[in-house]
This record gives sequence, C-alpha cells and structure tokens, in this order.
Amino acid sequence: MQEIYEISDRFIEAGDANELLYEPLKEGLTFRRTRRYEIDFDGDKKAVKKFVKETLLDKISQEFHKGEKPALSDSAFFVEYGMKPGALDLEKEAILTYYRGIEEPGFTINDLKIRQRIYVFGKAADEKVSDKFVRDICNRAIHNWSVIQGNV
Amino acid sequence: MEERPCAVLLKFPGTNCDEETARALEEVGFVTEVIPISALKATSLVGVSLVVLPGGFSYGDYVQSGRLAKLVTEQKIGDTLKEFRDNGGYLLGICNGFQILTQLGLLPEGSLVENASGRYQCHWVKLDKQCATSPFLTHLPDQFEFPIAHAEGRLVTATPEEAKAYRESGAAALTYTDEVNGSFEQIAGLQDESGRVFGLMPHPERFMNAADHYDPDWQSGVDGETSRGSGYYLFRSLFESVTSSN
Repeated sequence: MQEIYEISDRFIEAGDANELLYEPLKEGLTFRRTRRYEIDFDGDKKAVKKFVKETLLDKISQEFHKGEKPALSDSAFFVEYGMKPGALDLEKEAILTYYRGIEEPGFTINDLKIRQRIYVFGKAADEKVSDKFVRDICNRAIHNWSVIQGNV
Repeated sequence: MEERPCAVLLKFPGTNCDEETARALEEVGFVTEVIPISALKATSLVGVSLVVLPGGFSYGDYVQSGRLAKLVTEQKIGDTLKEFRDNGGYLLGICNGFQILTQLGLLPEGSLVENASGRYQCHWVKLDKQCATSPFLTHLPDQFEFPIAHAEGRLVTATPEEAKAYRESGAAALTYTDEVNGSFEQIAGLQDESGRVFGLMPHPERFMNAADHYDPDWQSGVDGETSRGSGYYLFRSLFESVTSSN
C-alpha cells in the first residue's frame, strides 16, 4: 500500500523566486516550498497517518495534505525533486532510524520517498522558464525531478 | 569544600555549541558533563541541577529544526525532562536548544520557523528584558546585546493573540528591540510558568567577554566590571538561582 502526504507551511509567505536563481528573471515570480512524503507500507493505515502527524507535521506552523492532489493551487508550475534511488538520503535515514526505534508501530515501512516541491507563482514568459529553476535547484548528480506546468 | 552544581549538556548529532557553552557554565561555577543522546538514560539526570540544550543543527534540521531531537529524546527517556523540571530542575535551550525545548512542550506553545527574510541571519541584536524576575536574567540590564545565528528563529503561535498574551504575562521574557526575523511580538526568548525553563534564540555563550563585542570600547557597566560580556551575566544569574534553590 502507498500513502502520500504533503506538508506546507502556514506562516511562510511566498518569497521572491529570483532568490532561487543565479540569473534573475524580470517576471516578478514568487515561490513556496512544500515537502512530500510517499510511504510504501504494510499494516494499519491509521497508524501510518498517526506516525506522519506525530513525526513529520508541526501542528502550529504547518498544514497536512493527504493524497495526490497538490497542496497548493494557482502556481504557474512546480518543480518536484528528491534524491535518486541509491543516493544517500540522510533525512530519510534519520526518519527511518527513529521509526525503527518505535515499539509496535502497527505498520512496516517498505520504502519512503521524500520529495521537495517548489511552487512558482506568477505569469512565466513561457514554459522554458521552469528549465532555469531546474538548472539552478536540482543537482544532476544526486537528484531526479519532474516539472508540472499550469497547476491552476 | 563547597559542592558545585552539576550541569548536563545534551549533545545530538549536529549539536556544535556544546564546548563553548560548557566553558561558559564552568566559568560561572558549574561542573559540566556533555552527554551524547546515544548514551542518555533516565538515570543520567540524577544529582543534576541544570540541563542545557546547546545550539547547533541537530539531525541536520531535517523535517523541522528540533523535531528529530525531540522525538529521539522522548524515545530515549520519555517524560524524564518534564519530571526533572517538576522536581525543581532548571532547563536552558539556546538557539537549536530553544527549538528542541519548544518541540518537547516544555515551553509555552509555539514554533520556531524560517526567518521572514527567508535567509540565515548572523549578526548582533538588541534585546529587552521583559521579565525582571526571571532566574536567567536577574543580573542583566533592561537592555543588552547578544549575537544571533539562525535560519529558523521566527517564533510563531497558533494565533497572534497567544503571542501577545505571552508578552503580557512575562512568558516572553526576552524580546528583540527591533524587528529581526518576523517573530510574533518580537519574541526572542520564552520561559515556562515555573521560570526554571528558558529558551532563547541568541547565543549568550558567544558573549562572555567584553572583547567579544564588535565595539572595542564596549563595557557592560554592570557591577563596575569592565571585562565581562552580557552572556556572563546570564550564566551568572542562572548559577546564583540554582545555588540558592539547592
């Protein structure tokens, strides 16, 4: 079974997207980040949700979104990236180390994928604008990524 | 021979201010022991007067700063820190330690999130003492300076009214004089109801001597002393509070 959770921040406003780029754009785009967790597991779905809420969510400053639907809407596009299979993902290892220390969690994690999402807002000149974000955010040696256009 | 109170510093993977914090504590009179989280047991705090969570980047700030440190601490020792506080113990969290204390629920409810600037900030700040009776602040003047160095130091509460209430009640024992990182009510440090648990984003251990200040002519003006920095007076206040309550 697989469950997908996306965590967004309540208090962090959209920032200037040029902060992500080596070469500033003129479009005045903004961005927000979220984090997406894909959990492959066997066992109790409710226990997985409880684990996610207790481990990965800050109830005061963050919001929790379950399922495939993107957490944020109205973006021109978003870049989703994460570590390539086989690359050492220290965040994943830290979470799994904690999980392994839980007595009787009620489920078994078979795989955990952590993906960052950068939602870019505003009117991009063309679809190639997203290439510049991929170039400056993603590291070809360790990341894989995808770009979803027109998340409106 | 007078027995010196013992302070334990908890060290997580990524904690990097433990040595200078231990040195600061020893300078004011504590005996210190740095305990790696892997070696921490509930019995580690027997005979200890103060637990310090020093600054750094525990677990690489993965998930959220302080989150994994909180989870691992609870996994290792359950509610021992709460029991330690309830039994009269003191807890101090500096920077990442403040984030961990907040996550552990040992301070009034709040969360430390990314600075409003979206950037890591490393500079000096002016601070206002809001609670003159705080055991951590008694020897400090009403206004003083400390350095900050953090990316996630913006204190937020579920509603802005909660932060306002913290300021009115004195729970927000320390505030920035100016807008620094977007913290609600410009809160720089929080204390719990007992006053024995205190967390702050600035680094007092980095200002133990007047010579640490950016102005070479700076003097504290406290007690006619010229060579001490403001950080010394925070740790000195704490030492006197601990020894008077032992």
